[in-house]
This record gives sequence, structure tokens and C-alpha cells, in this order.
Amino acid sequence: MYDVWQNALAEIEQQISAANFSTWFQGTSLISSDHGDIRIGVKNTFYIKQLRNRYLDIIKTALQNNNIEVSTIDFLVQNTTKAKVRPREVTKNTLIADAKKRIEHVNKKLNTNINSFNNGLNQKYTLDNFVVGSNNDLAVSAAKNIIANPGTKYNPFFLYGGPGLGKTHLVQAIGNALVKQNPDFKVFYTPINHFYSDFVDAIKAGKGKEFYLRFQKLDCLIIDDFQLIVNKEKSQEEFFNIFNDLYQLNKQIIVTSDRLPSQIKTVDERLASRLTWAGAFDLQLPKFEDKCAILRAKAELDGVEIEPEAIEYIAENVNTNIRDLEGEFSTILLMSEVRGLTPLELIQNGAVSVNKTSKLHPTSPKQVVDKVAKYYQLSTKELRSKSRVSNIKTARQVAMYILSKDLKLSTNKIATEVGVKDHSTVIHGIRKIDQDLKLNFTLRDQIEEIKEKIYG
Amino acid sequence: MKIKVTQEKLSKALTCISRIAINKSTLPILGNILIRVEDKKVSLITTNLDMAIISYLPVSESENGVITVPAKLITEFVSNLPKGENIEISTNDTKVSIKAGKYSSTINGTIADDFPELPEIDEKNAVIFKTSAEDFKNSIGQVIIASSNDLTRPALTGLCFDTNNGSLFAVSTDGYRLAKKEMIKKVESEVKAIVPSSTLHEVLRTISDDTEEIEISFNEDLVEFKLDETRIVSKLIDASYPDYTALIPKNNDTVVTLDRDELMRTIKLAALFARSVDGSIICEAKTPDSFSVRSIANEFGENDSNLQTTVEKDSKTRLNSRFFIDALNSIGSKEVIMEFSSSVKPIVIHGKNDDTYTHIIMPLNK
Repeated sequence: MYDVWQNALAEIEQQISAANFSTWFQGTSLISSDHGDIRIGVKNTFYIKQLRNRYLDIIKTALQNNNIEVSTIDFLVQNTTKAKVRPREVTKNTLIADAKKRIEHVNKKLNTNINSFNNGLNQKYTLDNFVVGSNNDLAVSAAKNIIANPGTKYNPFFLYGGPGLGKTHLVQAIGNALVKQNPDFKVFYTPINHFYSDFVDAIKAGKGKEFYLRFQKLDCLIIDDFQLIVNKEKSQEEFFNIFNDLYQLNKQIIVTSDRLPSQIKTVDERLASRLTWAGAFDLQLPKFEDKCAILRAKAELDGVEIEPEAIEYIAENVNTNIRDLEGEFSTILLMSEVRGLTPLELIQNGAVSVNKTSKLHPTSPKQVVDKVAKYYQLSTKELRSKSRVSNIKTARQVAMYILSKDLKLSTNKIATEVGVKDHSTVIHGIRKIDQDLKLNFTLRDQIEEIKEKIYG
Repeated sequence: MKIKVTQEKLSKALTCISRIAINKSTLPILGNILIRVEDKKVSLITTNLDMAIISYLPVSESENGVITVPAKLITEFVSNLPKGENIEISTNDTKVSIKAGKYSSTINGTIADDFPELPEIDEKNAVIFKTSAEDFKNSIGQVIIASSNDLTRPALTGLCFDTNNGSLFAVSTDGYRLAKKEMIKKVESEVKAIVPSSTLHEVLRTISDDTEEIEISFNEDLVEFKLDETRIVSKLIDASYPDYTALIPKNNDTVVTLDRDELMRTIKLAALFARSVDGSIICEAKTPDSFSVRSIANEFGENDSNLQTTVEKDSKTRLNSRFFIDALNSIGSKEVIMEFSSSVKPIVIHGKNDDTYTHIIMPLNK
């Protein structure tokens, strides 16, 4: 019953705006369906009228598409739809369905070869279809190490990087590989916000202890999107406790986030330091060669043919993340199918224009210099002065770096923009920042923040 | 759409309803006010999907129409206009222009189609109570302080409206203390419903000096408060309320009558020394006539006060001074009666000659 509703919800989600969906449909549940009499549980009475007057047809169609007979739909208030035992009408059908479910459940329990609970993993993510490149090779080798010896060297495994770079893919792949090599190995994958809502539901249902015990039995806990951690003392405390227990027992813990824990304001310091005990691994933006490799791998996986020139064209023009890269790739393939042209012909005819350059709006060199100066709390004049004071020097070099990498100015032009004598100083400055970036996370974040200010 | 109205009236209505508009909702329209004009009836509406406030605006001129505008912006704009000015609001598509003498502005509105439809109470099937606004304000004020904000226990985040022996009671508890007030005597209908504290806070804020009567209607899952030109509709909390009657002790060992102001001063003095021990103070009654309050802060020193009263039996208890102060604050009588014992039985406090209000505090472990 629950699954049918999840399917229907997925269908409804496609038809209405995300804001409307999350406002009106989150927390709803299908209480019962009996020969076309449908009863749907909602959060409170404010939702009933809206759902009935605005969304009844959508709900009806979505249910019918899932082979549910619909004649009437009723809405009922259900306060905690997940935790509460649902009042349902017992009919012959539900009795049979219940019996079937119980049998299934027992079968599952007996059959210890499969994890007897939903581990949250998606089978489609594996290491085989994860393209390794210079942007992620460190993280991948750590991941392989974890699969060979879980809970030892890289524990906790903290993985971070921007959106769409493959964090979820990599950690799910670790989980899947662990389960594959040992089906008894208990892995659990959850985004941190689901962890919280489950925790709150468990508390509401008076099952806080069971919740805690469930986690204690795990061999590997994977927490995704850690940056969404909320500043709720109790929930954070609970996570901290579970984390500590698993760590003490040498169970593998894997955490992903879009930035380092120390940069997430809501995170307790103790927790932040513990998460990076075994180091932090980052996934970076793929370079041109990596992007080509990713696209080639995807083409092979999908079993499609695409000209190398077309791959290079896409790789060159998508500079945001891997998700966008694959998205553009699929779009072009789809269009080529529709139009009956090969991808390359399509591109040459100008029928598609790919241009994803991470929200880089055109900007003037002067703006860049001004924003960098402002970020370091200097005046533009100070930045352009001959001062050798360390922070002014850094600011100047950062400005050179951005002008060179993003605006692609010549070194001579950069020299005049930031007020240094000649192009050799500029070359030195850019090289210095390039080198520092490899070791200095703070600098990297500073530059990200500055870029956000420039383009944002 | 078009309306003409005075600054005072509009500003008052907007301030009253805009508080619950949520700016950072996933559904941006919840940060807006819905303005609807229908046959010279102008209503302003906001909702946060737990409750809704509807305010009817008396206007001199109007043309039918409906639009939503950002709540915060329009409220602040109107409240800063000079008093006594006549304001004219009109729409052109989704542009809402507001003119008042020398001042005029255009606010980008949103069409009302996405504004949630609000539930309504069917008066025929509703249970309705009426009371004077002043009584309501005092009663709820006395009770609401003991409600909890612990979301893991939803029932306690509201006030329980309960009819018992022909009277309507309002009760709240956070597990450490409990307040119970007999609001209306001799009621004919029956109800047992939990109203969210947040809703009641809004109702209290909406009551003005001119408000005379308040009408409360309950149905299965809604409650509505009607006062003056405003209606507040709210969900009820869907949970079962603990059996509070069992919590109120019947016979406590010691009963003392004390002057409220004097007792308040004593507790406040003791509280100063109780800060390092979470506000814990010791109350002790000794026959024949001594009632003492003591607190000890190891680093700072200690406090000891004695009050004169009649004592028939010795008792000694330890309790939280902040709860005690809250309790005394909500009792209006000149003299208060405190019933307690040396055991773990809760302490009962109520005003002398006032049997409508009872406040209970759990003692602290020794």
C-alpha cells in the first residue's frame, strides 16, 4: 500500500511545482483503498480542502495509473502518519494482503542472505561505472581500501565536494560492494535529513531506544548530505552518540558533505573534529580529459555511438559538474535521435548550443579587482599598491589568479589591472596560488567565496 | 479591485494578521496576504497552514477583486504612513498601487489562485462558547505559562479545553507543573480538544481594549475564535491529553495561607541564591506559626527568610523557584494558599477565595 502511494506521489511530483508538492503532499499517506473507496491521511485539517479542491483529479489519475480503482477519495487527519498504527478497515482483501505480507516478512527473515531491512542503497551505483580521473583518484583509492578492510584505516571516511560530482555515487558504490562481498554485512545509507525525521518519528512513537539499537547493529553507516545537519541539540547529540558507538566498535562510518565540517556553522565542534580524524577526501571538478573519459564511459554504458569530436565539444563547454555534463550528453543524444542527425552534425549545424559555465556571468577585470580587494577588506588602491604586506600580496595574487583562470586575460593585461611591474610577477603569482591551492583548503574556500561574490 | 480606507483601520488589520505570514516557507505565497473584495465586504487573510487569520475591513468605497501581496512589505508601508490619511488601494493586473495623499507606491502582487483554500467550521455542527474578552484574556494568560514547547510531546504544546461537571476548563502542563482554570460556568455543550498554544498567543495578541466578547467554536478538528472584525481558525492537536485530574492531589498534609506580595518577595530573594543549583529552594513549615524559605549557593552564601502564618503540621519540600514565581504571577488574589507535604506529592497553589484557578508544581528530588 505504501509503495503504491510512493509511486503515485512520484507521478504527482512531476505534474506540479516543487514548492506545491512539498507543501501539500509531504507527510501524506494512503490509509486504505477498498473497492475504489480511497482514504488518504494528511497532516492537519488545513490540508484537506486544498487537496480536495485543487488536486483531486491529479491524485485520482496518479492512483489509477498505479492500477488502483478509484471511485471516492476521502481525506483524514493523521498526525504522525509514519509512526502511528494506521486505523484501517479490515476487509477480506486486507486480511489476505496482511497474511501475504506476514509470510513475505517471515520468508525474508529466514533468508539471511539478504539484508532483512531496507539498507537504502541503490543498486545502480557501483564502482565499475564510476569513472576515475585525476579529480577523484585519491578518494577512489581510499574507497577501494575501505571495501577491502572496512572500519580500519579510513574510518570515518569523510568525502566532500560540490553538487553533482559523484559523492552519492561513490559512497553508495562502497555500500553496494560491501554487501556484495558479504551479504551479512549490514550497511545503512541515509541522507542526514531523513535520519532526523526518522529520529523525531521514533521519539514521537516512543521508540527512541529501538531507533538507537537499530543503528548500533550496523556494520557500516553511510550518511549523505551532512551539510544539511540541523542545529537541534538533541538530534545532533543522538547522531554523535551513534557515531561514537560505531566508531568504538570499529564499524565503518562514511559521511559526505558539500564542504568541510568546520565550515558548517551548525555543527558542534567535537563532532566536526571527529569526522575528519581519518582525513577528508574531496571530489574536484573534472578536467577536460576526465570529462571526455566520463562521456566515453557513459556512451559505452548506454550502448550508443557518438563522435569523439562531439564528446570533446560537450566536455569543453560544460564547466559546472558531472550531473550537468551527463544531462547535456543525454539531451544531445535524444535530439539526434529525434532529428535523425548524428550528434556531431547536430552541433555543427548549430542545432544545439551547450554552454554551462558555472553561472559565470560576464564581468569586467575592474569588478574582479574591486571584489577581491573588498573581500580582503582592502581598498582597490591598496591592492594595486606596491606594498609587500602579506595579506595585500595574497589578495593581489588571488586577483591575478581569477583574472587569468576565469577571464583568460593575458599576463600583460593582468599586470596593468593589478598594478604590478611586468608579466613575470603575474606568472609567479598565479603559479604560487596554483601550488597553494593543493594544500591550503582555506585559500580554496576563500577563492570560492570570492567567485560567488563576483558572479553571484 | 479597489478599496478606500483610513490608515488607522488598515494598519490595525494588517498588523494583526501579518504576524503569521511565513517569509521563508517553501511555498512563497504563504508570505502573502490575500485581499478579497466581494460585494463591499473586504477580507484580509493570512495562513501558515496550522492556523489562519481573517480580518474584515470596514471600507468607504470598494470594487470587487482578489489579489495577494507580500505581507511584511505592505504592513510596514502602511504603518509608516501618516495617521488619519485616506488610503486607496487598487490593482492593475498583479500590480497593486497604494496611494495616500503625498505618498504612493506600487507593490508587485501575485494572483490568488495559489493561495490555499481554508477550512471552515460548519456552525450547525459546531460546539460554541461565548465569554467576555477580558475574562478570556485573563484565564488563558493564567494557564498558558505552564504549556510545554517540547515538540516530541505534541499534546503538551497546547491547552486542553475540557468540559467537566458543567463547566469549561482550560488546562496546560509541561510535565513539571500544571495550571487549571475554570473558564465558563454552566455550559450546556461538551468538548475535549487541544488548542495549540501558538494559536492562543495569536488570539491574546489580537484582543484589544475595545474587544468585548469572544466566541469560540469547536468541531472535530478545527477551532475558531471570533472577536470584533477578526476570525482566527486553527487546527486542533490530534493527540490524547493526559488525565490531569489524577495529577491534582486531594489531601496535602500542610496548608498555609500567605500574603501574596510578601511570599513573592521572599521567593525572589531566595531565587538569587538558587541560581547555581537550577533555582532549587526549600520551603519548610513548622508548627505553630513559622514558614521559612531557604536557598544555598555554595560559592556565594545562603538566604533564609521567615514568614508568619498558622501551621498545623510540619512539612518540608524542595521546588523550582522559577516555577513558583510563575505561579504567583498568575494568581491575582491578595492572599494565596499553598498546600504541600514532605512526600513527593505535588504542591498546590491557589488564591484565597478563588476556587477557579489551581496551579500545581512537582517537587524536586531531595
